[in-house]
Amino acid sequence: MPLDADYDNNDSLTSEESNPTGAVLVIGGGISGMQASLDLVNTGYKVFMVEKNSAIGGNMARLDKTFPSNDCAMCTISPRLVDSEQHLDVEVLTNSEVLQVTGEAGNFTATLHTRPRFIDADKCTACGKCAEVCPVPAENIFDGSLVKRRAAYKLYPQGAPNAFAIDKRGVAPCRDACPTGQRAQGYIAMIAEGRVAEAYRSIKRDNPFPAICGRICNARCESACSRGKIDEAVSIRSLKRYVTDTMMHEERIAPQKAERLHDEKIAIVGAGPCGLTAAQDLVLAGYEVTVFESLPVAGGMLRVGVPEYRLPADIIEREVADIIDLGVDLRLSTSVENIDDLLADGFNAVLVCVGAHEGNRLPIPGNDLNGILVNTSFLRDVRLNQLDSTARDPRPDVAGKRVVVIGGGDVAMDVVRTAARLGATDVQVAMRESEDAIPASPEEVVGAYQENITLNTSLNFLRIMDDGSGKVAGVECQCVNKFDIDENGRWVADVIEGSEFVIDADVVVFSTGQKAGLALIPEASEVKVNANNTLEINPNTFATGHPSIFAAGDAISGTAFVIEAVATGHKAANSIHRYLRGEEMDVSEAERPVASFTQQELDARVLKGELVPTPRIAAGSLPVDNREGFEEVDQCYTKAEAMAEAARCLNCGICSECLACEDACEIEAIDMNGMAKTYDVKVGAVIMAPGYRPYNAEHSEEFGLGRYANVLTSIQYERLLSASGPTNGKVLRPSDNQRPKRIAWLQCVGSRDANHDYCSAVCCMYATKQVTMTKGHWPDIDTEVFIMDLRAFGKGYEAYYNKARDNLGVRYTRSRVSKIVEDPLSKNLLLRYMDRGERANTETGESIREEIFDMVVLSVGMEIDDSTKQLAQRLNVEVDDYGFCKTLQYDPLQTSREGFYAVGPFREPKDIPESLLEASGAAAQAGTMLRKSRGTLTREAVFPAEREIVTENPKVAVFVCHCGTNIGGYLDVPGVAEYARGLPGVIHSEDPMYACSQDSVAHITEKVKEMGANRVVIASCTPLTHEPVFRKSLRAAGLNAYLLDMANIRNQCSWVHSHDWDAATEKAKDMVRMSIARATNLQPLTTNEMSVQSGAVVIGGGAAGMEAAITLADQGFPVDLVERASELGGALRHLHYGLEQFGIETALPPRGSDTFLGPQDYLKKLIAKVENHPSISLHFNAEVVNAQGFMGNFSSTIAYADREERIEISHGATIVCVGGVEYRGEEYGYGSDARITTQQQFESTLAELENVGGETPNNVVMIQCVGPADKYCGRICCTSALKNALTLKRLNPMAQITVIYKDIRTYGFKERIYTQAREAGVIFMHYEADREAEVTIDADGALNVSLWEEILGRQMDLKPDVVVLSTPIVPSPRAAELANKLKVAQDADGFFMEAHIKLRPVDFLADGVFMAGLAHYPKLLQESIIQAKAAAARAATILSRDTLTTGGPVAEINQKMCVACLTCVRSCPFGAPRISSDAPSIGGILGAAYIESALCQGCGLCTASCPACAIELKHYTENQMGAKLDALFKKAYV
Amino acid sequence: MQTFAPQIVAFCCRHCAYSAADLAGGARLSYPPSIKIVEMPCTGRANVLEILHALEKGADGVAVAGCLPGTCHYIKGNTLAKHRVDHVMELLKSIGLEQQRARMINISAAMGAQFANEVTNFFETIKALGPSPLSGATSNTRIGS
Repeated sequence: MPLDADYDNNDSLTSEESNPTGAVLVIGGGISGMQASLDLVNTGYKVFMVEKNSAIGGNMARLDKTFPSNDCAMCTISPRLVDSEQHLDVEVLTNSEVLQVTGEAGNFTATLHTRPRFIDADKCTACGKCAEVCPVPAENIFDGSLVKRRAAYKLYPQGAPNAFAIDKRGVAPCRDACPTGQRAQGYIAMIAEGRVAEAYRSIKRDNPFPAICGRICNARCESACSRGKIDEAVSIRSLKRYVTDTMMHEERIAPQKAERLHDEKIAIVGAGPCGLTAAQDLVLAGYEVTVFESLPVAGGMLRVGVPEYRLPADIIEREVADIIDLGVDLRLSTSVENIDDLLADGFNAVLVCVGAHEGNRLPIPGNDLNGILVNTSFLRDVRLNQLDSTARDPRPDVAGKRVVVIGGGDVAMDVVRTAARLGATDVQVAMRESEDAIPASPEEVVGAYQENITLNTSLNFLRIMDDGSGKVAGVECQCVNKFDIDENGRWVADVIEGSEFVIDADVVVFSTGQKAGLALIPEASEVKVNANNTLEINPNTFATGHPSIFAAGDAISGTAFVIEAVATGHKAANSIHRYLRGEEMDVSEAERPVASFTQQELDARVLKGELVPTPRIAAGSLPVDNREGFEEVDQCYTKAEAMAEAARCLNCGICSECLACEDACEIEAIDMNGMAKTYDVKVGAVIMAPGYRPYNAEHSEEFGLGRYANVLTSIQYERLLSASGPTNGKVLRPSDNQRPKRIAWLQCVGSRDANHDYCSAVCCMYATKQVTMTKGHWPDIDTEVFIMDLRAFGKGYEAYYNKARDNLGVRYTRSRVSKIVEDPLSKNLLLRYMDRGERANTETGESIREEIFDMVVLSVGMEIDDSTKQLAQRLNVEVDDYGFCKTLQYDPLQTSREGFYAVGPFREPKDIPESLLEASGAAAQAGTMLRKSRGTLTREAVFPAEREIVTENPKVAVFVCHCGTNIGGYLDVPGVAEYARGLPGVIHSEDPMYACSQDSVAHITEKVKEMGANRVVIASCTPLTHEPVFRKSLRAAGLNAYLLDMANIRNQCSWVHSHDWDAATEKAKDMVRMSIARATNLQPLTTNEMSVQSGAVVIGGGAAGMEAAITLADQGFPVDLVERASELGGALRHLHYGLEQFGIETALPPRGSDTFLGPQDYLKKLIAKVENHPSISLHFNAEVVNAQGFMGNFSSTIAYADREERIEISHGATIVCVGGVEYRGEEYGYGSDARITTQQQFESTLAELENVGGETPNNVVMIQCVGPADKYCGRICCTSALKNALTLKRLNPMAQITVIYKDIRTYGFKERIYTQAREAGVIFMHYEADREAEVTIDADGALNVSLWEEILGRQMDLKPDVVVLSTPIVPSPRAAELANKLKVAQDADGFFMEAHIKLRPVDFLADGVFMAGLAHYPKLLQESIIQAKAAAARAATILSRDTLTTGGPVAEINQKMCVACLTCVRSCPFGAPRISSDAPSIGGILGAAYIESALCQGCGLCTASCPACAIELKHYTENQMGAKLDALFKKAYV
Repeated sequence: MQTFAPQIVAFCCRHCAYSAADLAGGARLSYPPSIKIVEMPCTGRANVLEILHALEKGADGVAVAGCLPGTCHYIKGNTLAKHRVDHVMELLKSIGLEQQRARMINISAAMGAQFANEVTNFFETIKALGPSPLSGATSNTRIGS
């Protein structure tokens, strides 16, 4: 039998020889993930909580309020955040996902992947400085993308862990393309914000020559720039130049000399960009560095190879000076003849970066004629003569001469443009390359053209012509079709025969490549020279064959660009440092992902209008007419131009790695190099709570989301309403920041449509909440909600909806809006819709209406995120086409994979309380499976015994925290600490930099022990997050945890009064004085361990009661199941047809079965299981007649209807499952005629007729919302009615069925039964509350149903065979009596009242008592099963403990002062104050109150209520509070 | 010019108002430094005598700041607190003091900005009233920002 097979399976699982793993993987850190985790750790299991975001909290953390209580979502969720995050046994893994899970139920291995957050959450104090300085704007998805956040961010202010994170997609393509890894995106972001000095600092970090690179770099960053895929690359080089030029206009501040840290000396040969970069790095690393330069100037090729008009000398000198001033010993005009000499002179390492200063001549005849020059020496001589006209080599004399430059590279252009500036009359370039392949950069070519230089291309050079006197006369050339390069790397010309010609010239300059001058390398050196005249090195270490000699720059690569010289300079320096420090040298860096965008992604953004193609802004250049001298040609951006150009950056990487945060962070919590981790954890079960994503309504284009500014999604509107949202709780139109006057809500966007055959279950209510909050704040705003049906099906929902509609004046219009059109000027929104009902039925028949609103909110439905679908696939868990998880019939949390449970909207769209039920239920199931390993992996903190301090005088140790500059930057922290030292009782005071850092916490412990302190005051941040941390350090010092007081001088002082140092300091002193005063009055609080009764009493033997009993009994807890009737089953006895065949409930048959089971079969198996369970004792015809005690220690008396006997049961928890009954009143003539029946009765009739093959009715009218259903929604009646309608249709396809309804409330997947009913021809007729149908019996005895037909606008009569009334479930008639005995509350409708309607859906306010099933509220069978499991899970958190801790900060009554007036009893919501009849009260009269400390919640309501002042709340005593006030007002309270 | 800065005691419930004050600090929102917060588990813990003591000892105004109506973590603590503040206001009136020197504030944990506004508003009200005669101060003897 399937169900038995299930149980056998269960048993075999737990009776295996190897015990399961006592840990559970919880996927998702939303409210249900947290609930499951907390229930699990509180029953003795370890939890790994995997959350994909950087903070837990899920979608609930984004909500403003929750319906129907209008509770602040943050108030209710934050305690769970703190509990989850700080619990010793919950390992919260943020930024994480599950890759795979292998193994079997009970023993899984989960492979997890954690992305780096780049900020150490353990160190971070959440001061927010990183976000303050972060220049990169990033999308703020949490706030509905209404505002931007920074790449360094905290998901939301209250988020847990209480730490920032950095959002990084990868390395930006610009940075990736740059050999030296310039953080271009970072400095561009800073330019966009006008932060030029910071941009300069950021650039200089990677490149000591930014002004130079801002001019002559080949800018590979621009080639890689993603912007180039849309329009043009960002003009990165010009932006860099803008920064450096701006900075250079300011007075130079010479850098400080670097500190010498190491003994070693390093020689660098060559003061070019490479050598100087290395010199800078090494001198900063603490070495003595000497740079030898043969030229009289530093800068190498930059200084003598690039002409002044491109690179002014003063710029080079300034950047060189910034390096030399660090303490580099630069020896100019000093040639190194032999590299070995340097080693002999005592240098420990040598870096050769001599560049490539020797120009080549083509091997053609005449290449050594008089008048032939070489590029490098030509340019050098010009440059050196500009510096000093008496330089060694005279300036080349080309004035009035014809000059031909052979070569087509940038250097050739430099030469030719220089020659032109020196007065050459005719200047030409001749090159091999064709016109479309000129090697020089395009701007150089353009410059040459502008300066009237002739460019001759596609030439083969034959010889240099001699004028007969050994002087140059011209260049003989030959035209070529093309050049090829052969396998040896040589040029092979395809010449045009007969095309020879001569270019006349007086001077020919070869510009055909450069090479290094390597004369300093001796013949026999270990340093090897390659065939192409470069030095041979290990490319990873830059070491030559000699271990102490390194080489870099052009000397190893041949001619390259400055940026490469800089890059190799950095790398070689790093390598030398490693060499000298004896570290591993040949290390390769980990590959980091590049954050580029695909063309598709960018096109999509352009299409959406997010990106507008905008060409780059060109920087100006010197007019051609003014280019006679060597004045710089390219001009710099203006500030406005630079900011506009910078704004074109797409911020590809999100985090730009600019390191501004690293500079700002005082605790070194930033780790830019954080790497992703993949690792395994062992768990016994998996609970999947991945949550939902709001439907992306941009796909419903007719509503214009994303295009129309004032169309918002419900999540965005929620953020507007939220006090901690982007507008601080004000509703403002995005288009003009004005308060809207008319707002429309459109329901069912992404629900109940062609693409979603389900109802999202929450939208009607959250929209109602949003209008309620809106009307509450701004009653003048006109609100209209466009609905199909208003689905207020949960507890308290109907009243909430009625209040919005009837009291707040919210209009609910039954229509689906087809289209929104925006008025482009006012940005108002025109709605078109088909009006239904009377308004449409005008004389013209016009039913299309148009209305104008100034804001529209789309109530978006729930979808499953793609990442969740992929997750399900990876984990081999079956989901439907939408990605919703399939689960087993009658085991609705069990997925297709054993040991994997699914909860929350992942199963079906649902609200918070239902998600929590499922979370607890799944915790119970995991607990059942792993019960043998309960407590095996949980930890307990061990502390030394507490020191007795009662007889001691107060000795207070004070710690005033700087919190870096968070406190220390705004007030005089040492002064406050000093001040505290002088206060009475203080024996020690100090001012740690970070009181909460690990070493500091340990130090506090040590100091307390050392000084013998018996009270501690910490003046730092908020106790809400940090009290547990410091309490631990007290406990470690052997002090009671309650001997601590915290002064919150950060959140309440330094951050609030940051503009007023003196006032903040004074206030901090006041606050510390108050804290010390309270601390001296603090007393150690003791707690008592009270043993716990291991059993539970379950009252009620219906489906919920039996499931709860089984769940507890399966975990090994004895259960007494008390049933009033003589048999088990309750309301389930009336259920004959399941919902599975309609595709609206659990989609998989029970384990071990191929087909779905009928409800009665399920019931039979359930009864068999209960009856045979060794841990369940059954009590039939029994009732609980007396209940005493409290959580963990109840005593209940059970009486039997069929015998005199009474028994007394001791138990630790109680679960109330007394069910409910179908309402049967006299409405619509019920009771007067057998043909007027109820749904429950009708279902039984159908089942009976089906069994015997009887004739079913042909014409049925069903009337919805009968009886008390006008006060509360019966929740299941719509679904039951349609189930019965479809069952009848199956039995009798000809049957005509009419359903008369107010709203069809088939929530979630139940929507499908509604669709099927319509498709099957069931007729639906709507009625309003004031136009109910009338059921009468005609004279001929026929039934008549008369009703108002809205669309036709007239009264109609129906003649059914049967009228079926949908009456709701009402509470069991004995519920009130039981509530009284158990001292628990009922709501206005008589259902049992939970502790919190949203967050504690199975708990009573009285601890230790729980509820499930219809006694709580009407619900479907599977919902009852889930709630029963949840109640069992909650009960297990008590029963699984050996003892319960009572006491601590609870109230206590001084009975000698008590007058037994019962005020305390009345004031306490938890029933903690009780009267002891034999205790003497004031004057010795018997009968005094006492507090049952196990029930006391420590709120102090009784304390403040007691007219005799007989009650004290410990830890908040009158003395303690009074001392604070005394201290505040008596500054010298000594 | 130096002006009178009233001394304000704000009894804040740990669950809502105290959290809101933390949030106000986190958002670097400013309010006058002479406002001092005293944490309590629930505003229901604040008794009438305590509020009066604060005034007697030198406070110019006492605020009791708890959760929004209907959202008390202990069901009715803030409702009881409201009754007590009302009672204190009656008492103040009966001894010839301004009723405005006591005030109930309702605020949720997410309302940082509102916290700063509410206490600043209270501060301004008290400032306009001048020093409490019980404080032993005059407009000229108590100065600050």
